[in-house]
Amino acid sequence: MNDAPTPAELEVLAKQAGLDKLPAEYKAELLSAYTHLTAMLARLPHARPYADEPAHVFVPTTFAREG
Amino acid sequence: MAEFLTLAEAGRRIASRDLSPVELLQDCLARVDAVDDKLNSFVTLTRERALSEAKAAEAEIMAGRYRGPMHGIPYNLKDIFETKGIRTTAQSKQLADYVPAADCDAQEKLAAAGGVLLGKSATWEFAHGGPSWDVLFPPCRNPWDLNKDPAGSSSGSGASVAAGMVLATMGSDTGGSIRGPAAANGIAGLKPTYGRVSRRGVLPNCFSHDHAGPLAWTVEDVAILMNLVAGFDPKDPACADVPVPDYTAALTGEVKGLVIGVPYGWLENDHPPSAPTRAALDAALDVFKGLGATIRPVALPPLQDYEDCKKIIAIAELFSIHAKQLRETPELFGASLRWRIIAGGLLRAESYVQAMRQRNVLAAAMQAAMRDVDVMMLPSGEPAKELKPQPPESLFTKRSYTTAFNVGGNPALSLCMGFDETGMPFSLQIVGKLFDEATVLRAGDAYERATTWRAKRPALVA
Repeated sequence: MNDAPTPAELEVLAKQAGLDKLPAEYKAELLSAYTHLTAMLARLPHARPYADEPAHVFVPTTFAREG
Repeated sequence: MAEFLTLAEAGRRIASRDLSPVELLQDCLARVDAVDDKLNSFVTLTRERALSEAKAAEAEIMAGRYRGPMHGIPYNLKDIFETKGIRTTAQSKQLADYVPAADCDAQEKLAAAGGVLLGKSATWEFAHGGPSWDVLFPPCRNPWDLNKDPAGSSSGSGASVAAGMVLATMGSDTGGSIRGPAAANGIAGLKPTYGRVSRRGVLPNCFSHDHAGPLAWTVEDVAILMNLVAGFDPKDPACADVPVPDYTAALTGEVKGLVIGVPYGWLENDHPPSAPTRAALDAALDVFKGLGATIRPVALPPLQDYEDCKKIIAIAELFSIHAKQLRETPELFGASLRWRIIAGGLLRAESYVQAMRQRNVLAAAMQAAMRDVDVMMLPSGEPAKELKPQPPESLFTKRSYTTAFNVGGNPALSLCMGFDETGMPFSLQIVGKLFDEATVLRAGDAYERATTWRAKRPALVA
């Protein structure tokens, strides 16, 4: 995960993110930032119990007052 | 210049009609006029409005309608807090002409308490990227040394309180943006428990970690502000419907029997502080021991785990907030924030959800670590360094003592812990159990009473 993407791979990723029209200098920023991001992602644990919920579960009481 | 007053002192004198809100405002404006062209702590000064509000406060008080300790007190708001009819820019060219149609929750409450809004304070762009020299306004400087960084992102809030230009302010904290400026500027700042203070009308940085909270010269002043701004707001989906105690009543000056946990693993292995900062912390712990508290180690997951979790979540949420502008007008962002947003578009949904699952694990571990202590203590950070552009990758590589408590959601107070050999403030961070701001404030207030640090103001305004 720490390998930097090739320019072609970065173009694909940028297009998926709607960032393919960015000026060239910002593409360099994108590559630089993405390289640091992948290092963090590599450290993030992925093996979890099935029922291990995320911290942003839907809380219906928040919206019950609206009804 | 006029004497410096804390919010509490000014409130007492105004209540007894020994001080006029108009005179107090004029003292604050005199400091603004004298030094803020060097500090850049205000981005918008509402001089005429403030004068009008101060006169109205004076008339009300003279007519016997005193509202409480905030009545007639000058304050400002970080420029991500929306203010009806007053430009709210987030320090960004993206919002150069944005004038909100409604007030944020904090402004509603402080205005209702009779406060005098003196203006909007400098921030990092959208409370995230900075310090920057290529955004809407120049970066704020540190009143203790104009060449030093006031820290961010509530930079102007911290600097303007330290310089006595306002007696109270509100900031926001997503990874340390209240506590960092409080630390760098030698004042008190509280990141309340997540959900304790409404964020309605505060421009978002990272929804899941954003907190709004007060900064002031003393912990007592912070407690007064918490009495005004804490409480359930059904219009903030994260706001907690939990009873709010009287925070000033908690300030007994007593900490005998208090059990203080210290995360020595972080301080000795994960991210050791400088020797002077460690010595200042040990001296502060000795003060607490002298007051009857006990110290014990607490074990927490690695600091890096908290950093990674928060930053992965933050970059995804940041991108979702700013994607449209990034695609259409990227040149209107400063380079620092743009760099910090941009890779969020390449983050996969799986990674965001996994980081959100990891947050629960880390938050639970933090509460477990605090089970047998009343509070945790550690530095907020190092004394302020030179103000200069930071490499953008520092977002990902820099470790802090503050971010973990945004992940956990715990209340965390920063207060002055003395001064280094160059005269820059050291900072103590006091962390509490969820929704127990009262104990945090009690401990901080007791420390301020037992030390002399509050007697010293920056030479710039002294």
